[in-house]
Amino acid sequence: MEIEIGKTTKYLRDKQGVPDSAKEKLKEFNQIKKAIVEALKEHEMTIPQLAEKLQMSKPDVAYHLLTLVKYGVVAIGEIDDMDEYFSYKLVK
Amino acid sequence: MEERQIIEYDALVIGAGIAGGEAAINLANTGYKVLLVEKDHSLGGKMILLSKVFPTLDCAACITTPKVSEIARHNNITVFTESEVTHIAKKGDNDFVAQIMKKPRYVRVEDCTACQLCEKACPVSVRDEYQFGLIGRKAAFIPFSIANPKAAVIDIENCTLCGACEKACPTHCIDFTMETEYYELHAKTVILATGFNLFDPLEIPRFGYGQYKNVITSMQMEREIAPTRPYNTILRPGDGKVPDRIAYVLCTGSRDNTIGNPICSQICCMYSMKQAQLLMGALPMADITIYYINIRSFGKGFEEFYQQAKGMGVNFVKGKIGKITEKENGNLILRYEDIAEGVVKEAEHDMVVLSVGVKSNPSAGKIFDGNSLKLDPLQFVAQQDFLGSPAKTSIDGVFVAGTASGPMDIPDSILSAGSASSEAISYLTRYQSL
Repeated sequence: MEIEIGKTTKYLRDKQGVPDSAKEKLKEFNQIKKAIVEALKEHEMTIPQLAEKLQMSKPDVAYHLLTLVKYGVVAIGEIDDMDEYFSYKLVK
Repeated sequence: MEERQIIEYDALVIGAGIAGGEAAINLANTGYKVLLVEKDHSLGGKMILLSKVFPTLDCAACITTPKVSEIARHNNITVFTESEVTHIAKKGDNDFVAQIMKKPRYVRVEDCTACQLCEKACPVSVRDEYQFGLIGRKAAFIPFSIANPKAAVIDIENCTLCGACEKACPTHCIDFTMETEYYELHAKTVILATGFNLFDPLEIPRFGYGQYKNVITSMQMEREIAPTRPYNTILRPGDGKVPDRIAYVLCTGSRDNTIGNPICSQICCMYSMKQAQLLMGALPMADITIYYINIRSFGKGFEEFYQQAKGMGVNFVKGKIGKITEKENGNLILRYEDIAEGVVKEAEHDMVVLSVGVKSNPSAGKIFDGNSLKLDPLQFVAQQDFLGSPAKTSIDGVFVAGTASGPMDIPDSILSAGSASSEAISYLTRYQSL
């Protein structure tokens, strides 16, 4: 059977399925992304502030937030008066 | 049994880092047809991911990218990425038969324009191995901005096969019907440029790597100071703070019998000094301290580079680190023996960089018939005539280039590749003229 160019995803999905680990990672990322986006809707926040609000560890927030900066969802704001922590805001 | 395509080249070069690439160019410029096999998605090895090189502080990418571009466009070089040589048998002089497995990229490289629309459409996010886990990447992704080939890859292990990338791709280059391809290569000579592995600091739990997020490796710091860095500036991965006091722990996993690596990495002193100088440029108010056992500035311009680092204000402490612990605020306490004063001291830093050493990549030893390729006691490829002909291995016609034979810096890797390609050309010529 000829598989149409541009529509090959179904071929591999039918052939080997999707690993559960991949589905789990996607679910986890979407939950964290949603939580971060919701929190930043109110106002700009630093990573420690966001970690406290979301009750998540600072390293986890740092990783996901800085990843969202890379993906263009979040933008970098100003650095604080002590030149220690940047604040982060949603991209309009 | 899988179907194998029969292919023929004059030379097989395994590994497309700086040594393998250099050896391939030398052979190709002499008129030989070369197959360059690389397991990763891009040419350039570890060097292409570096910020700058020591002791000149030249931009690493500015040296590497023209070279990988020359390799990719050379008429006499064929590049196989995502590929592994699984077995090599020597049938006679000038007669090697290699089995090669080429994994699917799920993207037709020749049609990909690197527009990144697939990357934007992909909903998946996983840790980016090219940024050493500091940040995420998509499952449909361009490995890094100066990758060659600059084309997307599908990380099939993490892909949810949602089809978003395929829908977004304007050139229809994404193809999930691609399968592993198998080749039987007939070649006249082989060059091993399989490189080295960085020491994994998880092997030294007392340094807290993995547990304390502000303890990072030198390759992670290398990414933080590179032009294609993961963050907007130097940040602690533990909480995003701009660090003030940064410590380097030299000889992490080198010169240490307790972890089975008694040798000097030959690079960790110098790359740490390089990073320290670059950090002082990026963070002018920061204090940088380098904890060392001995400074080995043995190469051309190295001692001057060391003096330059000291002159810039880098603090050098002759001290051996016993343990690293973390405070509640993410700062780190280094407990160390001050070798000069003979006392145990403690110092607080915002961030610790482990200057990891060099370990062998013993994979090359497994691919030859009957373990005929000899390795040295540390599993580097053994050099049969170390002083007279350093590129020769235990198999006539198989040569070694770069760090596959032992730790060395970039200029020495390039020199070693020159030696390997010269020996290979000599071997090819010897049997051609008979």
